[in-house]
Amino acid sequence: MTKSLPKNNSNVILELKNVTKTYATGTNCFTALDNVSLKIHQGEFVSITGPSGSGKSTLMHIIGLLDNPTSGEVLLNGKDISKLKEHQLAQIRNVNLGFVFQQFNLLAKTSALENVLLPLLYSDVPKNQRQEIGLNFLKKVGLEDKIKNTPAQLSGGQQQRVAIARALVNNPQIVLADEPTGNLDSKSGADIMEFFHQLNEKEGRTIILVTHDMDLARQAKRTIVIKDGKVMEGKNA
Amino acid sequence: MLKPSFKDLLKSSFRSILKNKSRTILTSLGIIIGVTSVILLTSIGNGLKSYVTDQFDALGANSVFISPGKVFNDDGGFSQNSFAAAMVTSFTQKDLNLLNRKLKNSVVMPVNVAYADVKSDKAIKKMIEIDGSTEEYGKSNNVVPSAGNGRWFTNEENNKKTPVVVLGYKIAETLFPSSSAVGKKVIIKGKTLKVIGVVDQKGSSFGGPSVDDAVYAPFSIVSDLAGNENINTFVVRAPTKDAIESTKKEISKVMLERYDKDAFSVFDSSQLLSSINSIISVLTIALTGIAAISLVVGGVGIMNIMLVSVTERTREIGLRKAIGAYPRAILIQFLIEAIILSCFGGLVGVILGGLGTLAINSFFPAKITISSVILAFGVSSAVGIIFGVAPARKASKLSPIEALRYE
Repeated sequence: MTKSLPKNNSNVILELKNVTKTYATGTNCFTALDNVSLKIHQGEFVSITGPSGSGKSTLMHIIGLLDNPTSGEVLLNGKDISKLKEHQLAQIRNVNLGFVFQQFNLLAKTSALENVLLPLLYSDVPKNQRQEIGLNFLKKVGLEDKIKNTPAQLSGGQQQRVAIARALVNNPQIVLADEPTGNLDSKSGADIMEFFHQLNEKEGRTIILVTHDMDLARQAKRTIVIKDGKVMEGKNA
Repeated sequence: MLKPSFKDLLKSSFRSILKNKSRTILTSLGIIIGVTSVILLTSIGNGLKSYVTDQFDALGANSVFISPGKVFNDDGGFSQNSFAAAMVTSFTQKDLNLLNRKLKNSVVMPVNVAYADVKSDKAIKKMIEIDGSTEEYGKSNNVVPSAGNGRWFTNEENNKKTPVVVLGYKIAETLFPSSSAVGKKVIIKGKTLKVIGVVDQKGSSFGGPSVDDAVYAPFSIVSDLAGNENINTFVVRAPTKDAIESTKKEISKVMLERYDKDAFSVFDSSQLLSSINSIISVLTIALTGIAAISLVVGGVGIMNIMLVSVTERTREIGLRKAIGAYPRAILIQFLIEAIILSCFGGLVGVILGGLGTLAINSFFPAKITISSVILAFGVSSAVGIIFGVAPARKASKLSPIEALRYE
């Protein structure tokens, strides 16, 4: 997936330049993000944290290409993608991003393997390779003996592992985890965090962790704190 | 290029439908009922048509009828005042003689009708239709008793006014329940007549008067019973089927010498048949139209369930979008689900309609046609597409952020 990048930005994957996001609430205008600029480098483990209502969810949506900024630029591999159409963004999300959610968001009554294979359905990966890729990633998260289990037959920690395998199955540049341990007990939560660390250290995966939990955020190599729509610290490492 | 491929979309739609079996069946029920009733009704209509055609063929295909008054209007339907006209006019012996003289190649059979009570020593049948005609009438109208059931009367008996009758099957059953009627005596209007034959059972055309309920006697005998020598109808047997049209023209020419053109009608069984068939067609179309309403209701049911399903699966839609499903992939997926539901309903409906037709066929004429199957199935899948669009569009337009946040 690596593409030839401009030399001066050689290890910057994602860059936000003066990004502002405002919402119209009736007659008022609410500014969720106020002139935010930041860079994410290849192989980084970054956490984004802040109190609720700080704008961290909005920031995550823009980083995750789920939403367009009101103004400013979002550069992915040096290319501005803030003006792209919905179906183009969907394509980029499919290829370049992997999502891990607080609620796991696995399809009910659907086997772990099929859940993992879901992103491949919307990709160019040849059909005859999909099964094997899915099995490999389930093995990687330690669930090779649970491939046929449905989410209801898995514990919370196991469900989140399936979700991580699903996020990795397209070999994305960035893994975006939104409160991944929020619905787990502390033991399973610690396991999941450990897994992210391994992914980052051993495989050099770029991981962005969004959490309101300061302690969790501090485990990342760099922490971006956001408050009232502004980046307070850790803008550039 | 469509991503995911159509096959993958079909597979995933099937899976989500199979996850909710009871909902699938309930949703399809409207379509099932609609398709079943459309097929049943068209089958009954078609069955009636071919049944009527068969009956007319049995009646004698080469027959031309001359009737007083105007039976058909100019459009080929039945004339409104045919019954009133029929009461006003009847034909005479002079007409018979003239027709016999002019139509050399055809057989002209006068028919006189009287209504009277028919008594045996055991029972009585009130107000029975007694048809008086000639020897040729029996063969021409397919009412000659088969071997062992007596015989039809001869022209000699007609000329000599021999008091003989041929009974319809049901009349014979009623009047002589314990033994064969042939050779027995019946009394009509005080006159004693000898039963010389019983017509084979023909069955009724949908409960109307039939051959089974008729009594036949020589023309001269019925004239005495009726008290006049009037002729109600002429049945003219053309030499061949191809000669029917020319015979009709000849008859019209002869009759116009004596009557006004609106005072009589000349028609053959095919005209009668097409009139009856057009009535059956109109009825079938009307009833099928009513049944088709249930197809639309079924479509609304599918739309309803699909809308609920979109709401229920909001998070799933949000997730699919987040991991790379573009709006059209979601649209097509939900549309396929709606089409599968309605096609499933259509298929079950076709099967039930076919089985129903077979079941009905044992006591009522019914005939399934390919065109009705294609129509019903086509309409049901069209209904699926039309009523599936709204929910599918709703699903495809969901914002992934909102959808993922949905509780």
